[in-house]
Formats: sequence, structure tokens, C-alpha cells
Amino acid sequence: MLFAEGKITVFDGGFGSELERRGLSGIPEDLNITEAEKIREIHRDYSCADIITANTFGLNPIKYRGKYPLREVAVRAVENARAADKPVFFDVGPTGAMLEPIGNLSFEEAYEAFKTVAEISRDIADGYILETFSDLYELKSAVLAFKENSSLPIFATVTFDETGRTLTGSTPEIVANTLSGLGVDALGVNCSLGPKELLPIVERLLSSTDLPIIVQPNRGLPVLEGGKTVYKLSADEFEENIAKMVEMGVSVIGGCCGTTPEFIRRIAKFSGQAVRKHEFRPRTAVNSANRLCVIEGVKICGERLNPTGKKALKEALIAENLDYLADEAIRQQEAGADLLDVNAGLPQIDEKALMPKIVKKLREYCDLPLQIDSSDPEAIEAAVRVCDGIPLINSVNGDEKVMERIFPIAKKYGAVVLGLAMDENGVPKTAAERVSIAQRIIGKAEEFGIPRHKIMIDTLVVTASAEQELVGQTLDALGRVSALGVATALGVSNVSFGLPYRPLINRTFLAMALERGLNMPIMNPLDGDMVGTVRAFELLSGIDKNAENYIGLYKDFSQTPARAAASAKKEETAATLYDCVRLGFRERAEELCEAELSSRPPMEVVNEVLIKALDEVGRLYESGKLFLPQLISSAEAAKAAFSAVSRHLPKGTEPKGRVVLATVKGDVHDIGKNIVKVVIESYGWEVTDLGKDVPIEEVVRAVERVKPDAVGLSALMTTTVPNMEATIRALREAGTSAKIFVGGAVLNPETAEKIGADYYTKDALGMAKKLDEVFGKG
Amino acid sequence: MNSSDLEFLRPQIYNYLGFRGVSADPKTDALIVECVAELEKIAQFRYLYRLFDEPPKFLAKEPYKAYLEGSRGVIICAMTLGISVDREINRLFRVDAARAVVLDSCASAYLEFRADEYEKKLGSDLAPRFCPGYGGSPLCDLREIFGILSPEKTGMSLNESDFMLPSKSMAGIIAVGKAAEKSCAGCFMAKTCNYLKEGRRCYSQKGK
Repeated sequence: MLFAEGKITVFDGGFGSELERRGLSGIPEDLNITEAEKIREIHRDYSCADIITANTFGLNPIKYRGKYPLREVAVRAVENARAADKPVFFDVGPTGAMLEPIGNLSFEEAYEAFKTVAEISRDIADGYILETFSDLYELKSAVLAFKENSSLPIFATVTFDETGRTLTGSTPEIVANTLSGLGVDALGVNCSLGPKELLPIVERLLSSTDLPIIVQPNRGLPVLEGGKTVYKLSADEFEENIAKMVEMGVSVIGGCCGTTPEFIRRIAKFSGQAVRKHEFRPRTAVNSANRLCVIEGVKICGERLNPTGKKALKEALIAENLDYLADEAIRQQEAGADLLDVNAGLPQIDEKALMPKIVKKLREYCDLPLQIDSSDPEAIEAAVRVCDGIPLINSVNGDEKVMERIFPIAKKYGAVVLGLAMDENGVPKTAAERVSIAQRIIGKAEEFGIPRHKIMIDTLVVTASAEQELVGQTLDALGRVSALGVATALGVSNVSFGLPYRPLINRTFLAMALERGLNMPIMNPLDGDMVGTVRAFELLSGIDKNAENYIGLYKDFSQTPARAAASAKKEETAATLYDCVRLGFRERAEELCEAELSSRPPMEVVNEVLIKALDEVGRLYESGKLFLPQLISSAEAAKAAFSAVSRHLPKGTEPKGRVVLATVKGDVHDIGKNIVKVVIESYGWEVTDLGKDVPIEEVVRAVERVKPDAVGLSALMTTTVPNMEATIRALREAGTSAKIFVGGAVLNPETAEKIGADYYTKDALGMAKKLDEVFGKG
Repeated sequence: MNSSDLEFLRPQIYNYLGFRGVSADPKTDALIVECVAELEKIAQFRYLYRLFDEPPKFLAKEPYKAYLEGSRGVIICAMTLGISVDREINRLFRVDAARAVVLDSCASAYLEFRADEYEKKLGSDLAPRFCPGYGGSPLCDLREIFGILSPEKTGMSLNESDFMLPSKSMAGIIAVGKAAEKSCAGCFMAKTCNYLKEGRRCYSQKGK
């Protein structure tokens, strides 16, 4: 193949539009069997291309709705494509279903679907073209499926819109970083726009990877004529812009929607030319599907999802209370973290099982790239696999055995690896020894095909109270490792263990380390002074051009530096706790509640103030004087006040009761359930929220585990009421004693009774009141 | 979107939020302004359609027949605000639930607004959009519309329970050659409409 020799390779053009042009309708893949000769004719008309794409775009077990076995269609499609007498690539499109968390297709289910495609095609095709993907996460599942189940070359392309992002928000840089990391053979863009509009995107792809770039544009932007999509760009203009791309360094060219054999004949003349070299500067970069973090200058790695020394996080991990972790992640992101450390290393925990769950949960609420932090290689792989981009692995060290287990994982998933400048003999005392371990790590990584820009080095912080003289060695090593051309990291706050007024030591040390070239402090982003030190450093060292970022953050600075960085919201002042709850002032409610608690017993504050305020809010809501947003604001204010109360209650005080909430299987709209959660929590109930589209068995398992007083199920549409009924039946069969509440747009008391629920409530407040009534806890 | 558009949307948003015939709440008002501005920033509005002279087979039943009576064609359409809106609503529930609820309602109204604006370009003789699920029409007809338009390329999908994703998506039909203002008087749903029973309307009117 020309491609393998570094020569320009030409793919064929639009197929769907060609079917339409020739009057062929029906399921396109089935035409391979029902209209085989006409399909072969299209392939023959494209034989001027170097590679022919089989007519298999929608042939996966999730999307394909035709009437033949998948394997039979695959065989016939490849046979037809062979009529052009050129190498044949199997065409692989997306599943058409939406992945979690917005949709309900899991990463693993998507993987299985693509694995099936690999199994039916690997012995008959010459390569794969994964194309028209708009969700990078789905594309990752596909790349893994084909890499793990075949040895054929993989080309992967996505579609971008006019804003330069995919539909799920990935930029060309993010796509290039992710696909390069996963080790595809060529990556690029197809469909989307016309060749002219794609030029800037192609430019960005080229500057983000040294892999071959593939471009298959549409025939210009579509024009709507009488309800039909028409493409009108001339072959001349198409050719002209493809020529520019060839000039820029593109390796593989072809066409998508609207292009015809004529267009491909016009660009076939580039076939076999040597690919132009393109500029690419390797950078140390991690990313999620929506956020690229280049580790240059200073990037803050949030340390708060590491249970070491954090009691509440430990408890949350053991109880699998992932909501707690999600909240921590959101707070760190809002406070200015650039990526987040994730560690679940506790002896009670099955890390390998829990880490992927954590990664998926965080993805729902936070789009920062992750640092996967574990000493268990299996847990690392399980987590890295389900990341939606390129993560950082924490860590390897100079111990050969560790490197030999971790580097293959990093190589396979394209992860960046953090190397600790220590080995099986512990942390060396001198800077020179640490630098030599760093060099050993970089050298060993290269043996595994991991380039230097995929390695970071942590020169290891010692505690100043125990080994004062070694603090300087850490900093010396930092400077020398920086000079090796790798990015650096330090767990900054370790320096102050055992000393009074730790924050002062931490931020001073941070400033010293930044000056020596520290790129990634692993620190607490909620510490406004620490973040402030970073921002000031960025200003003073010229990273923050014209001090724009600094001034934006601190222009309103007053006496509360810790809050300034997190840009705390100002709330109106309300005189009393009662008013704060009624008017929904959350932060003020917590403050005033704390103040009340200093002079009155907790239960008195609850009964005399909070419950009375909530009752008033409820009354106003029911009489149509307050409305949903106000009810929720009040509920959140009450919740904040209750959290202050709970800090003053004796340890082991039980909540009012426990409620498990779920939106039933098949139902993906959960706003009503979310409102119920906020409101009943404000009434003092402890809620376990299972989310939306919850499988029946998962509800049963959770109920057996939590042993709640009540279960609340919601369904929005008639199509999912049967699932609600089945869930209730399964709960009854499992012998739960919990009362079952149902709600949602399609339900009413009659339906609720018919499907076996105990209670129907029409809204969130209704449920809060009913709970109190049923369990006699008003 | 200009300020008069926002004024036009506001009653609809209040309607979705469950405010019933009550004057505005300043805090909610401020939230609405912020949320609509946010939507202008994050929404990725997409509209797909095809025009048919003869209605496709699945429309040969009530209530579609009544809706299409006297028309000379039908537009099959699908539209969405994209996945980023869902993501933000989801995130806000952890950060500020009141804002999440307001953004959700704003997004519903905003999608209708953008769709109405888009449809003005399609012709001056179009009836208001009608979507499966209204008026007792089966939700599963969405599958027919997805079959015709393949809106997956715009990021839309339909799950096994006939839920559309992203959640701020619509798919439906538009009668051509039957221009009509949205009004209860001419609406074939008038007898069974739940909004009307509560003295409300399913649409906003300028100046109200």
C-alpha cells in the first residue's frame, strides 16, 4: 500500500449520496445483497482511488436494522468492493445510540458492538476506516475494539461543525491528542463541511500530531432546495482546496457527502506523491473529551480526591458514595484546578472495580482531565480504559518491575506517566541520584516506545520538620530534571507535616519550587492562598500576559483572599436564619445557623427555626404564592443549615430516615427526581440517588444494601411505566419492607395503585409531606 | 436574541416553571436572563427537515389526518439544542438546583423559539409544528421520523423507550399550505387540552 511508504493515498468519495443519485433506496447495507451489481458499479466507478470503502457504514449490531445476518452482509459488501480491484477498507460508523452519561449506552456495550464488527470483518478486509464519529468516547471504544480484535490498519475520522468542535465538544487538538495516544494509523476529519471550510481544522490537526492526517470533506456546504439537501461545489474548487491540504502535509485524501467519482478522479493525480513533512512540536498534554491540559507553565493538579488523611472521603469511598466525590471534583474545578488526582487506595476497597466507577461518575459533572493514582496496575488499567481522553498515570518509579508493569498500559492507552525519582531502595538523598533515576525512567520508557514528552518527573518532597537539609535537594533536582526537557510535578503540601501554621510553609515552598521550574503542583485548589501564589507567579514570570488573568481574578480583592480565587457569590443579607431559609439564601443560612448553634441546642434550632421556615415555604408554595425555583432555593438553604446542625449533633446520630430514589429503566429524563431529592433532603431525609435509567436489579441491590424506609421511583412517559411496574414487582419479590412512592408526569393515584405502589405524590413537596405523615416524623 | 424576544419567551418560561398567573419574581427574573444568555453561548441548535408532497404512510391516521386536512404538503422535521445543554443542567443540579430548574425551563422555551424562527424561513404558509406524543398520537411515531431524517448526524438519538436525546430535542411534522397563528380557537386539540383546562396556553403571545 502507498500509505505504508509515506506516499499520498487517495480514498473513494461519497457513497450514501451516490446511492441516492442512482435511485437506490432502502437500508444501504442490504443493497449489498439485493442490488449487488449496482453497488459494484459504484465501486468500479471509484476505482481511480487507491483504497475502496466497503458499503458497511451502519453495519453494527446496535444500528443495523436490516434482515440479513451481519456476517453475510459483511462478506457480500467486501466482495462487491473487490470489484474495483483495489485494497478494501471496512467502513465503520457510530452506533447511532448515545453513550452514558447523557444517553444510556455504556462504554462496554459500545465496545462489544464494535468487537462484533471486528470479528466478522478482520479476515476479509484490508483495513478499517472509522468515520463520521462525533463522540470521542464512542470512537475510543471502537479503536480499542479493533486494536484488540484484529491486526489491520485503523484510520479514524471525526466530524467537526463550523465552530471547530465535534457535537460533543472536542476540538481538533483534543481529537489528535487522544487518537495519537491510542495509536491509530491515520487520524483526521470527514464529512462536516466543505474542503475550504475544513482548512483551519486541518491546520490544527497537523500541528497536534506527527501521525498521518486523513481528510474526506463534503462537496462544500449543503444548500437546501425544496426540502432536499443539495451540494453544489464545483470539482475545480474541490481539487484546488485538496491541493492546498496536500501542500500542508495531509497524507490521505478522499471525499464524503455529495462527492462523486468525478471528484475523486480529479484528486487521484496526487496519489503516490511524497507526503510533505509538517511541523509538529511534541507537548506533554492530557485531556478529557472537552478539555486539553498542556503541562507547560503551571497547571494545578487537585489533590482532594486522595483519601490519605481525609476521613470523610475515606468513608465516602467505603460506602461507594460517589456523589461526595463528584461534589469534591466540581469544587476543585471551580476553584481553578486544571486536572484532578483520583486515588481509591484503601485496604477495604476493591480498587479495580471501584476506580472505573469513579472515573465515569466524575465524567458526568466535571470535564477536567484525570490523574489516575494507584499502586495496583490492574486498577490503573481499568480506570485508564474508561477515561474519555488521555489521562496521567501516577506513578512509576525507578524500580524495573514497576516500570515493566505500568509502561505497557501507558503505551496502549497513550497515557502520560508520572515517574517518581526514587526506586526500590527508597528516596535517594541527593539531587544527583534523583536526576539519575529520572534519566533511567525516561530511558526505560523509550524502550517501550513512550516518547519523552509522555513522561513527567516528581522529584519528591520531604518533610522539612524531619529532613530540613533535603528540601534544597528536591528543588535542585527539580531544576535539573526540567533541563532534561520533561515536565515536573511535586506533592507540595507534604513539606509542612509536623509544623505549625502549615499553609504558610506550603505556599512559600510552592513559590520556591515554581521558580525552579515546577510545572504541576499537586495541591489543594480550595486553598485560595496557594492558588493565589500560582496566579501571582504566572504574572511575575510573564506567563499571564498583561496580567489579564490575575486582574480578572483579584480586581475586587478585599479581606478574604481565600474566597477571592473561588470568586464567591455575593448574597443579599437577610437578618435571621428563618428569613434566609424562606428567601433561599444558602451561604448566609449556613453562617447564621452556625451562630444560632453557639447559643441554642441543635434540636431547638431545627424545631423552632428550620422546620417552621420550611413549613411556611411549603404553605406559600401550596397556595400558589411561591414557585418551584423559590421552593428549591429554600430547600437548598435549609439543607445548608442542616449541614451546620449535623456538625453539632453527637456522633452516630441517625438521620430522620433513608430514601432511595431512582428514575426507572428506559427513562432518561430525571429533572423531577432531582427536584424531589433536593426537597426531601431539606426535610432531613438521607437520600441515596441511583440516577436515571436504572436497571431493575440495581434498584433491588441498592435497597438491600441501604435498607431504606422508602423508595421513590419516577417515570416521565407512558413507555416506561411498565418498567416502573416491573421494578416494584422485583422489590416486592425481594421482600423489601420499604414503602414505595411513585411520581412523574404520566402517573396518577389510579395508575400508582394498579402498578402496586404504596403512594403516589404529585410533586416534591407532596412527597416530603407524605413521608413525614407515613413515618410520623413531622 | 434581543430583549423583545426575551420578553416574548418569559411568560412561556414561567409557564414551564409552574408559575400560575402570578407577577414576576425578581430573583427568578434575573436567573432567566442569565440562563438565556448561557443558552445563547452553549446551545448547538440543529434543524433537519424534508418536504413531502404526499404525507408518508404513518401519518394516515388521527390525529395527524385532522392536523393535515387541507394542506398541500408536509414537512418532517427534527431539531435539538445539543448535548452541552443537558450536561450543564446535570452539573448545575449539584451546584445550584434552583438555577438548574430555571435553565431546564429556559432551554425548553429556547428550543421552541429557535425552531419557530427557523421555520419562518421555510415558508409563510406553515401550520404550527405538531409532534408525536401530542393529542394522543403515539410516541413510537418518532421512530418513523428518525427513519426518514436519520438525525443521528446532528447528535440526536432515540432510545428503546422512544426518548429523544439530547433531552432538549423535538421531532414532528408541519402542515404546508395551511398558515395559522398559534391560537386555541383554531386548534383541533382544544377539547382535550390540559393547558386550556387550567386556563393556560401552550404558547406565548407577544405583549401578554
